[in-house]
Amino acid sequence: MSILYDEGQQAIATESRRVLEARVNKDALLPLLEASGEYHQGFWTTAKEQGWTALALPEAHGGLALGLVELGLIAHQAGRTLSGAPFLTSNFGVAKAIALYGSDAQQARWLPGLASGETIGAIAFADGADPLPAHPGATLAGGRLSGTLGGVTGGLAADVAIVLARENGVPALVLVDLAGIERTPVQSFDNSRCIADLRFDGAPAERLIAGEAAREAALHILALQAVVTAHEQTGGAEALMEIARDYAVTRKAFGQPIGAFQSIKHRIAELYGLVELARANCIHAAARQDQDDFITAAAAARLSATEAYDAAARDCVQIHGGIGVTWEIGLHLHMRRARSLAIEQGSSLFWEDALVDRLAGEAA
Amino acid sequence: MSDLEAWRARAAAWCESMVPTFGKAARKGLGVEDDLALGRCYQKAKFDAGFAGINWPKELGGQGLGHIEKIAFEGEEMKHGFPNVYFGISLGMPVPVLMQFGSDRDFVQERVLKALQGEEIWCQLFSEPSGGTDLAGLRTRAETDGNGWRINGQKVWTSWAQYSDYGVIVVRTDPTVPKHKGLTYFWVDMKAPGVTVRPIKLAGGDAHVNEVFFDDVRISDDHRMSPVGGGFAVAMATLMIERYVATDSAGFGPHLDLFVDLAKEVRLNGRPAIEDGRIRQQIARNYAMRSGLDSINVRARLMMEAGMTPGPEGSLNKLVAVRSRQKLSELAIDLQGAGGFHFDERASLKDDWASSWINAPTGRIAGGSDETLLNTIAERILGLPQDHRPDKGIPFNQIPA
Repeated sequence: MSILYDEGQQAIATESRRVLEARVNKDALLPLLEASGEYHQGFWTTAKEQGWTALALPEAHGGLALGLVELGLIAHQAGRTLSGAPFLTSNFGVAKAIALYGSDAQQARWLPGLASGETIGAIAFADGADPLPAHPGATLAGGRLSGTLGGVTGGLAADVAIVLARENGVPALVLVDLAGIERTPVQSFDNSRCIADLRFDGAPAERLIAGEAAREAALHILALQAVVTAHEQTGGAEALMEIARDYAVTRKAFGQPIGAFQSIKHRIAELYGLVELARANCIHAAARQDQDDFITAAAAARLSATEAYDAAARDCVQIHGGIGVTWEIGLHLHMRRARSLAIEQGSSLFWEDALVDRLAGEAA
Repeated sequence: MSDLEAWRARAAAWCESMVPTFGKAARKGLGVEDDLALGRCYQKAKFDAGFAGINWPKELGGQGLGHIEKIAFEGEEMKHGFPNVYFGISLGMPVPVLMQFGSDRDFVQERVLKALQGEEIWCQLFSEPSGGTDLAGLRTRAETDGNGWRINGQKVWTSWAQYSDYGVIVVRTDPTVPKHKGLTYFWVDMKAPGVTVRPIKLAGGDAHVNEVFFDDVRISDDHRMSPVGGGFAVAMATLMIERYVATDSAGFGPHLDLFVDLAKEVRLNGRPAIEDGRIRQQIARNYAMRSGLDSINVRARLMMEAGMTPGPEGSLNKLVAVRSRQKLSELAIDLQGAGGFHFDERASLKDDWASSWINAPTGRIAGGSDETLLNTIAERILGLPQDHRPDKGIPFNQIPA
């Protein structure tokens, strides 16, 4: 069942948009591209102040006990303005993993900090090109984690990580304190994502859940994050569609606004279609959080949102012509973000398979 | 159970009970004439059961309910393949316009009742050989003739005209003013002297559309449904009436489950096609598209139930669903390889891929072509400028032909 946003939810959308538009802009974001491992402090401070970090976490540990719908609304606005750090999504994923699969002690230790935003979390499931490996490369033995996890979003700044590892030949979801862990920055096309390779060499780590259940738990966490990211992608796509529209009604060529040429106006109308399909899938998926078909709904949201953001990035730059490819105009910030978000939480290739496995009745 | 859920349950039960008499199996092998006769019986049964004219006024024979009840019923009705296609246009546009704009109320009452019971069918005479999208550029003319009018010209793509008793028509009554301002809206008796209907066989083999010729067809002024020169506004009102209809994210073609079943049955390179990445990608993409449309449609329904106006995103359904149905149908034929040649021109679009494919172009053109819909989205929703229109503001008879 899809939902209509209630008044409280609409207020969250309006207020978060207002705050972000006032505090985040391309002039602050452009220099981050040329730095390594720096994120937009203003964005993260805002997220903490506004309580966005606590939004979807349990009240017992400092959370606000709202859900994916509300966090999705924030993520949508963050996507519109290009969020300055990836932690809104990664903190949510880490906190959910600990809340769902962790002990009371682990929850008490980590959730308050994750809820306040003082602690930063990262999710490290991927092994190379595989976002959810059946045979993870990292190993857990005797409570110690070894191995390298490559391309971890937020890894440079994170205090704690949830890792998909292997223990006694089966998958295990592992909680690991990142203090003192060796991190190599990944020089990326979207540097404010703070991407790092994490190298564990017998680091103390705690198993949350093991066996086939661990892989299912990891998929669930990935899907929760994917729905948040899909909202962020949809917000980015929506912003680009509006930027393209605004440019097309003001820029003139051959004596008329370029938006009067069908090659331009139809391109923007097509973007509208992609954005609305993505939005509709996001709203639906957020409302299916605890239902049997959640993975299916999350996959649909993820696929349509990735398609919308990539298409909007391509077409918005194209509609701008030469000015669109300049550093200063900053459209490349969206281009870059469209691709980094497309990879985070598993690419379209992964979600297509996850979706068809379910539609064909092949998945558990 | 809410009133609406109770209504839906009643609709579902009634539809279920009609399957033996009017369902797909009952229609199998019937020619068009026999199917139409069955359709008239179905429409009568629908009327008797209180499911005809759901959102029309009670005093005219309707049920006096809302759009929501109408859409709920249509959602149930759509599942069964009943022979209701002959009445879709008639009850969708011309008859509601007659209710709204017909001057002789006794005549209106009689026509509405007969149409609701399947006894009479109305057609809509808008498109012409010189243009369909450019409605205001039409050339069929009506000239004053004593106290009435004399119509000459030609209409085309008129659905079900060959079975229609009446039609609504837009004609040019003044060629000396700009094109939108010289039009007037009438109803006509399709059996009147001078009206000739000639069916057009379409690519898929069926002939539900027609050419309609008017040779000195005389009508009295009480047939007029708009002010003289005010026909364009009524034509636009006609097109707005059908805003709230049940939509189908399958684009009125087969459900995606049928494609998944086919992909499980067929083998590609020695493996089930469902394991082939190309096939999986198309299934996933189509699912994501359709689930998005479904979510849009559900939200539109919830908004109506809450007394709100649904958002403009509802206009995406036909554009997005039909063109992707066309491609998916091509792929379904590919999947069957040499087994895909089979064609039955009476097969249902809803469960036969070849039929869905060959009729898909009609869906992308009729009722607003893809390109027209994109223009509408761009201009009405996004505020982009209109195309360059060299005929704007110029008297119709001075527009270069």
